[in-house]
Amino acid sequence: MIINTLNVGVVGAGRMGLTHHSIMNTLPGVKVTAVADPSGAVTSLLEKYAGVRAYKDHREMIEREQLAAILLCTPPAHNYEILRHTLERGLHVFVEKPFLLSSAQAGEMARLYDERKLVNQVGYVNRFNDVFTRARQLARDGLLGKVLRFRSEMFSGTIVREQEQSNWRATHVNGGGAVYEMASHAIDLINYLFGTPDRVEGTSLTRVFSRDVEDIVSSCLFFRSGLAGTLYVNWSDESYRKPTNKLEIFGDRGKILADQHGMKVFVREASPAHGFTAGWNDVYITDVFSNVPFYLRGIEFTAQLDDFVRCIRSGEPPRCSFADAAATIRVVEQLFSNHTAITGGLN
Amino acid sequence: MPTIDRVVFGDNQFFGINHMSQEKALALAMRFHNLDDIFTVYQAAFDAGVRAVMLNSNDRAAAICARFRDRASQYPALAWYPSIPYPHKYANLVSEKGIMAAVNSVVFKDTGALAGLGKLAQGGLALVSRDIVQLAKMLIDAEMRMFRGLDVRVVFLQNVLTDLVLGLGVRDFFVEYTEHIRRKYGATPGLITQNLPLLRDRLQEWGVEGVVICASVNKIGYLMSPGREAYEQALADNNPARYPVMAMSTLASGAIPAPEAYDYINRLNLQSIVFGASSRSNIEQTLRCISPQPLTAKVQLQ
Repeated sequence: MIINTLNVGVVGAGRMGLTHHSIMNTLPGVKVTAVADPSGAVTSLLEKYAGVRAYKDHREMIEREQLAAILLCTPPAHNYEILRHTLERGLHVFVEKPFLLSSAQAGEMARLYDERKLVNQVGYVNRFNDVFTRARQLARDGLLGKVLRFRSEMFSGTIVREQEQSNWRATHVNGGGAVYEMASHAIDLINYLFGTPDRVEGTSLTRVFSRDVEDIVSSCLFFRSGLAGTLYVNWSDESYRKPTNKLEIFGDRGKILADQHGMKVFVREASPAHGFTAGWNDVYITDVFSNVPFYLRGIEFTAQLDDFVRCIRSGEPPRCSFADAAATIRVVEQLFSNHTAITGGLN
Repeated sequence: MPTIDRVVFGDNQFFGINHMSQEKALALAMRFHNLDDIFTVYQAAFDAGVRAVMLNSNDRAAAICARFRDRASQYPALAWYPSIPYPHKYANLVSEKGIMAAVNSVVFKDTGALAGLGKLAQGGLALVSRDIVQLAKMLIDAEMRMFRGLDVRVVFLQNVLTDLVLGLGVRDFFVEYTEHIRRKYGATPGLITQNLPLLRDRLQEWGVEGVVICASVNKIGYLMSPGREAYEQALADNNPARYPVMAMSTLASGAIPAPEAYDYINRLNLQSIVFGASSRSNIEQTLRCISPQPLTAKVQLQ
């Protein structure tokens, strides 16, 4: 079978831009041909050493290159304008989370890209983790009975010193702070498992080292069905060697404690179909992992780009669409407004 | 002509790294909080005949190296297999400061004599692209400082960096890295990867030879992209004089019992094995399982 080579451009040459560029370049039938970043420092190196054409302006790249798709890895405050442009040019787009900073803009982009039948995907990478997808399947199979409570948590030692102001991560206007950058992952995981919560209460946003953004996020999320749960995110916790999501799901017939590397499943009755005995069962990543064509910083980044390419070729919907990410941004907005209503600002 | 050791004792267990379970990882991190506990395990490995050590240049490694240097007479002569850099340090710095400022803070920290070059990393575009090779060498040297005075045989680049650059397709990086390690350290260059078949093929295409490739190899295909069959094929047709292979994650972080794991490993064209264990009995059991070749066997490189 002859597959036309898919030419891809990358906008944003930071850590995620480089990661996605590297992975995309190794997928069969895909080639990264151009990169754009206003700073020019990294892209000029890529031009010199990695055989791509470098641009300072994404518009110029899109006009000059024959691209089928864009990987958008810029700070989210820039994304709305860029997405309008890629929409006009009819390009498929993968955007790094949190996608956009307003649910109105996010909803608008979701609608427009769907109308144009362009593949639109957002990088909420936990949807491609083999443990979390298995946990979701178990809950959907009814293994836990009626699900009543959950905890979705995320920890890292990302910000463990007083912060300088120069970084884009230092302000909400640019999409910085633990809510946009980390809690969005923990919220997306809730949305992926249970759908979007109906109500947010008891939100607390607290600074540890940052000046103008929160480092700790906690909140309570409620569904009309009676399902409820808590969110706790802390990116100033130095005891974590790398970013870690934790998930607890409690139902009237069992519960799951999961992280990216494994889960413990407690069931009141044995479930031979799932290979579980009554009581505690261990599931390790080595029991459920899938291989990807290329490994970089885990299998998840490759699995999601592989899915993006598959959707471009097949026309199927992606596992994390703009509409899915818009739902997460709606919860983010509720967190901010709930916190402001309680305290009037950052603690 | 350089040689590599058949068996190398790894370090993941000391630093709270377990790819299968974060709970196990945390338990390990707590157990090895004290340097003396790390050295008790090293001693068990030496007692069992191990004479080669792999160590990542993380923030605790400097103290380990220092003790080996300061109390050299207490330990057998060791062959060192450092791996650089410590990726999480860079990941956090980059998140905090951006790529260039992170590089700046690592290269120019503790190097007063070079402080004037700090300007280089502050964005001068022409400067950066002209001097990137020099800058990369300075980063390597900054990471290697802690291993001074030790008998370094192979210097490995961590997989996150190897694989990032492999995907980007930057031949020059591998050429410069391998030359720098040979010239400056008189050591054999090594590359850790989770994509052995692709890396080996690219290195061949690019004419980069005499490189030790360290990769996960295990019976269940864990951390082996694109898959176990591709690894078996690549190993079967590999020339070990050009690309000696050191297997890591042979037990898949504990998912496979040692006898079963090495029953598979010993049938493959592998030159070396790096393993970690945190008890005397596990160390001894692993060594018994690793093929009948004597522990001190060496593989000659081209």
